[in-house]
Amino acid sequence: MRVAYAMFTAATLCLLNPTAGQAQETLRLGAPIALTGPLADAGVKSKQGYDVCVSAVNAKGGVKVGGKSMKLELVEYDYQSETNRAVQLVQRLINVDKVNFLLAPYGSGDTKATAVVAERYGTPMVAAAAATASIFDQNFQNLFGVLFSNSMITNAEVAYYTKTTPDLKRVAVFAMNSLFPKAIAASLVESAKAKGLEVVYNEIYSPDTSDFSNILTQVKSLKPDWIYATGYTQELVQVRRQMNDLGIEAKLVTMTAAPAYPEFRENVKALAENVTTNSWWHQNANYKDDYLFGSSLKYNEIFRERFKRDATYLEAAATASCETIAMAIEEAKSIAPDAVRKVLREKTFNTFYGPIHFGKTGQNDVNAALVLQIQKGDLVVLAPEALKQGQLNVGFPAKK
Amino acid sequence: MLAQYVVNGVLTGGIYACLAVGFSLVWGVLNVVNMLHGSMVVLGAYFCLYAVQQLGTPLYVAMPLACLFLFAAGYAVQKGVINRVIGQPILITLTLTFGLELIVNNLLLHLFSATPRSLVTNFGAIEVFGLRIPVVRIGGMLVAAILTVLVYWLLRHSKIGRAIIAVRMDRHAAALMGIRIKQIYALTFGIGALMAGAAGCAMALIYPITPMMSGLFLGKAFIICVLGGLGSVPGAIIGGLVLGLVEGVGSVTLGPQWATSVGFMLMMLVIIVFPSGLAGKRGYE
Repeated sequence: MRVAYAMFTAATLCLLNPTAGQAQETLRLGAPIALTGPLADAGVKSKQGYDVCVSAVNAKGGVKVGGKSMKLELVEYDYQSETNRAVQLVQRLINVDKVNFLLAPYGSGDTKATAVVAERYGTPMVAAAAATASIFDQNFQNLFGVLFSNSMITNAEVAYYTKTTPDLKRVAVFAMNSLFPKAIAASLVESAKAKGLEVVYNEIYSPDTSDFSNILTQVKSLKPDWIYATGYTQELVQVRRQMNDLGIEAKLVTMTAAPAYPEFRENVKALAENVTTNSWWHQNANYKDDYLFGSSLKYNEIFRERFKRDATYLEAAATASCETIAMAIEEAKSIAPDAVRKVLREKTFNTFYGPIHFGKTGQNDVNAALVLQIQKGDLVVLAPEALKQGQLNVGFPAKK
Repeated sequence: MLAQYVVNGVLTGGIYACLAVGFSLVWGVLNVVNMLHGSMVVLGAYFCLYAVQQLGTPLYVAMPLACLFLFAAGYAVQKGVINRVIGQPILITLTLTFGLELIVNNLLLHLFSATPRSLVTNFGAIEVFGLRIPVVRIGGMLVAAILTVLVYWLLRHSKIGRAIIAVRMDRHAAALMGIRIKQIYALTFGIGALMAGAAGCAMALIYPITPMMSGLFLGKAFIICVLGGLGSVPGAIIGGLVLGLVEGVGSVTLGPQWATSVGFMLMMLVIIVFPSGLAGKRGYE
């Protein structure tokens, strides 16, 4: 009678919760994503990157864990670009949805806020869009970042431009008052000063800024050789247009990181010419990936087939963050957080995104910084030397 | 350089004024803080973007069409939804328009995504005595000026306009004079939406548009209304210009990160010193 009662109870529970019986077969990745609000554009791109990874892993039979295969499932919520909501959703993902691992929200600020929760519950979290070093110096044991540090990017930029443009002396920097844009601008200032450049303007602007004419009028009066602006796509499109309105000239204009996205070029058309930028990834780097995609170019083909455009570093980093979790689980032969965390800490993952090694702080410490310029409407890799596709065009605006 | 800052401030102020005229009218006449206004501006912008880029309609045709579309939508929203609660405390109408804003904004996000889109990339600039004046911003100012003159004329010299003014002054007395109050409310909201549509087309020329800009547009319109005076059409122009200039001064003296905060600080100061706004009439604050 007791056995029959137990069987009846188990069957009822399975009927009430159809996923209960298959819980062991599915590996759940929790992801708070900014699908609405100011970060929606970047949030949608991150989701596309995750979706490509989940589809690819499941198409090859899932993640192999100790003799069985587990399907990947992305458990996602829209955190509406609100940090507090992202924090609440990470708690929900851990406590209610019982996800195995976490993918961080977009941006350094939201990643830092949610990493505290991941740390409290001991759930490993991989961040695809957080590069600011101040997130990774908190001694978190469960936070891993795919993007290498801002300083690697800015050092590469300053080294390349000072080498190719010897009369580069005066730099003007302005950054959006948001964690990443501010941090990479600060890093650029440090890198520039270390190379002996004079920083003639160094200001931050509010995220609500819609008009840059006064900032640019000040910058113009200082006659910098190099203008370095950071922010998100919408602001930098407006900056580029207003530079044109005010007739600003310089040897170099660098923007982080909007010109890496096709919509920057679509919104400023010919004005995009000669704008330089940087990136953590470009498909032409063509890294080998034996686990999932084959290579960077093959990854981009898959992405383009699905979304009708090339992947940028943002989608690629999102895919890579999910891929490293899958690779770490297979290496650990377990889904236990401790075992997976240990592999994440020790192994170098060779992915289409490039080699990923989470250093002492949890941030990727393999430097593969790219310097890029828009030439004839296309992004051209200028550095590193091994991936170089063209020479730097000095002079801004571009001569017609 | 100082002259260039003044020119920058005036041009930015002109664009701000363009955003605020319709919002001011609705707030002043209906006593409705229309939280939907920012999304209506964005809707006007996307209407023009779609008409010009997808259908190949010339901008001078697309803009009146956007105005007509927004007028019809605004009229319908007021008549079918807001009129039902128009007699309630201001918090009720504010909450209602906030709810409508969420719906419209999410629909726009679903339809157009958050990727920025622009109508035109480069109109160029003219140079006068060493000062650079972008042509597109002159266009924005012209739209604001034309809208203001049209609404001013409508309010002063047409029967409908006099009825709107009468309702604004005393709706009970206006009703006793035979004015159909709810009809006037719907017309006023429709005119406010029409102006949001025109402003949206102008914004599509100046800014890369995303649905997320509704909050920015609404915030600017709100400050300008308080600065200029509720319901005062010339007040919207004065408020816009003052805000543009003050933000410019704030940006140069305190640093760019303080520019937008300076606008709110100015608004608080004006509320204390001139509760009716710089060009408003006592009794409408």
